[in-house]
Amino acid sequence: MEIKQTALAGTLESSDIQIMLSKGADGIKINLDSDVKKQFGTQITAVITEVLQKFEIENANVKAVDKGALDCVIKARTIAAAQRALGTTDKPAWEVL
Amino acid sequence: MVENTERLRRTMMFVPGNNPAMVKDAGIYGADSIMFDLEDAVSLAEKDAARDLIYEALTTVDYGDAELVVRINGLDTPFYENDIQAMVKAKVDVIRLPKTESAEMIQTLETLVIAAEKEFGIEVGTIHLMAAIESAKGVLNAPEIATASERMIGIALSAEDYTTDMKTHRYPDGAELEFARNMVLHAARAAGIAAFDTVFTNMDDPDGFYRETEHIHQLGFDGKSLVNPRQIEMVNKVYEPTQKEIATAKNVITAIAAAKAKGSGVIAMNGQMVDRPVVLRAQRVMNLAKASHLLDEEGNYIEK
Amino acid sequence: MPTVATLNLQDKNTFADWRTFLTSLDIHNFQENELTTIDLTIGIYDEAGKLVATGSIAGNILKYIGVCNKDSAKGTYFNTIISELMNHLAQQGIFHLFVFTKLKYAQSFQHVGFHQLAHTTEGALLETGDTNVSTYVQSIPRIADQDKKAIASIVMNANPFTLGHRYLVETAAKANDLVYVFVVNNDVSLFPTAARLQLVQEGTSDLKNVQVVNGADYMVSYATFPAYFLPTPDAAIKYQTTLDARIFKHQIAPALNIRKRYLGSEPLSRTTDIYNQTLKKELPPEIQVVVIPRLTGSTNQVITATQVRQAIRTGQLATIEASVPATTFTFIKSNLQKLQQRIQKGMNIDGN
Repeated sequence: MEIKQTALAGTLESSDIQIMLSKGADGIKINLDSDVKKQFGTQITAVITEVLQKFEIENANVKAVDKGALDCVIKARTIAAAQRALGTTDKPAWEVL
Repeated sequence: MVENTERLRRTMMFVPGNNPAMVKDAGIYGADSIMFDLEDAVSLAEKDAARDLIYEALTTVDYGDAELVVRINGLDTPFYENDIQAMVKAKVDVIRLPKTESAEMIQTLETLVIAAEKEFGIEVGTIHLMAAIESAKGVLNAPEIATASERMIGIALSAEDYTTDMKTHRYPDGAELEFARNMVLHAARAAGIAAFDTVFTNMDDPDGFYRETEHIHQLGFDGKSLVNPRQIEMVNKVYEPTQKEIATAKNVITAIAAAKAKGSGVIAMNGQMVDRPVVLRAQRVMNLAKASHLLDEEGNYIEK
Repeated sequence: MPTVATLNLQDKNTFADWRTFLTSLDIHNFQENELTTIDLTIGIYDEAGKLVATGSIAGNILKYIGVCNKDSAKGTYFNTIISELMNHLAQQGIFHLFVFTKLKYAQSFQHVGFHQLAHTTEGALLETGDTNVSTYVQSIPRIADQDKKAIASIVMNANPFTLGHRYLVETAAKANDLVYVFVVNNDVSLFPTAARLQLVQEGTSDLKNVQVVNGADYMVSYATFPAYFLPTPDAAIKYQTTLDARIFKHQIAPALNIRKRYLGSEPLSRTTDIYNQTLKKELPPEIQVVVIPRLTGSTNQVITATQVRQAIRTGQLATIEASVPATTFTFIKSNLQKLQQRIQKGMNIDGN
């Protein structure tokens, strides 16, 4: 699916992750800021990528600022950002949840 | 009514639905029930994100034995149906409907819950319901609300909106809530479901909190809604059974065991027949004693 | 729990509270023209009802960020304020934002995903969002072997494009392989950005080695250089122009191999004169600053866009026909009513 507009989800508060999702041209590009990037950077980007793939989003720029989020939080925030970017918040994506 | 072998519901802790730190840690404080809030604690712009967050938390985080409750957005909001579907799919224990005023509202909710259970391949009847009573109308209709569905596990009084509806506000002595408390409590007891008292928000007034909790304990409430984990221990302390209550309860339990061993349907103690309410109370006291860590492994009272 | 709330600065008590709080954090700039740009202010109150953090937005700029960390875990209030403000802006469809901040806070912003564009001893300018300076630079058209060619640049508001501008572009075009003309992006000029871009493009279309580019948020923008558009004390102008020059020097020019920046001499505007002085101080030696004396018109007066705007106000277009390219003149004639209406509605035409 094509991203219609840039979207933001999540916060910069502890245990959260802020995800900004915008149109991309060259696959899924993730720019991650995290205090635990060394240990968990790969895992965080993998969770984000997996969610976007489930939405069949092929091109996107992701700016993620992680404040120690669990995987389930990363997943939830990416879902929220994706639905906002696709303009489908009214209809939860049951197949992705 | 849902048969809950006297599940303890002393504390129902409110957790804002869009706060990952609090959602993540909600299980560590030992609340009997955790209520994730998608309603008042979440701003309009974040309803979708909070729903996603609670869904993911419910399906991945281990909350131990706590009963998991989600307060969904009201019937008159555009979030209502999506909230129901998502929480059914997440197999939450209980959906709490805010601002309940009639049995019909519960029945409407139940219809949607059944549809969602079917849609997501969940056994029909799995998801339980409870109602928050927040208005004069709701209080007067409490009996019909409490019996509106087989799925009902409890009703709760929400004093903030209720006192506004009554053209008053909350006072330290709680006189303004007396009628509502008694209505809700009677409706719950008559229906055989739990009764939850409202929140107490002033964290700087522990004396007031104890006073109120002792009062609702005395009335017969199952427990209290809480906004701060620090209040859990305080409520549990109020609900602790006394050594004497435990001793009596143990006698009743022993009598039950003796009757069972004899294959007799009649439970007798001190030459008197023990009837059902006494048995239930004894079980409840033992449950409370265990939960309060007042019993050792063999069921003996531990001196504090 | 501490609560986040919207602050109504129109309320005298709230304003006094807010101002006292910021003053205690060494933030003192409460000039009217700064305050009037504020769209929204939020604050965090602790359990005792005391203001412990605040932040504001003005367009896509974060302002008046102040946090007292005495009673909270490090950064908690700061992160709450920033993400609240970002969420507010996101709801309005604004995702690309800037902040000017004291140097000591720059790191806090970097910690929440902001990228530093430039700094001076007084402060730093940072940005975050769905676009940034590197995506901007990547989007600018290039020529073959650009890194081996002589590349020059001009930044202009062109409000509107005059023969004076044209002369500057022509001079640069003669001496270089490629000239980038960056047109200032803002909505506070009499001629809107689209019109100014169009008129520069049309007015230079015969010059094949001129590339007209929207200056976006990085060149003399309302975000980075508000003093260009608003009356401002010299010290602030110096600070803002220094940041502007450093962004150009470090973030824009290197990737495009820009080695020269052409300026028109500035006999009339104090702000532009300070700007030119700053550019001369900051850009060399990597970027050579070439000052071209202003073209004078038939009456030996320098040609300025200000005169053109005055003539639009009075409707005496004949007086400026000789000062602007035909394309600009045609545009003014066919849009005269619209332009005059904008002036009547209060558009300032005496500035830049």
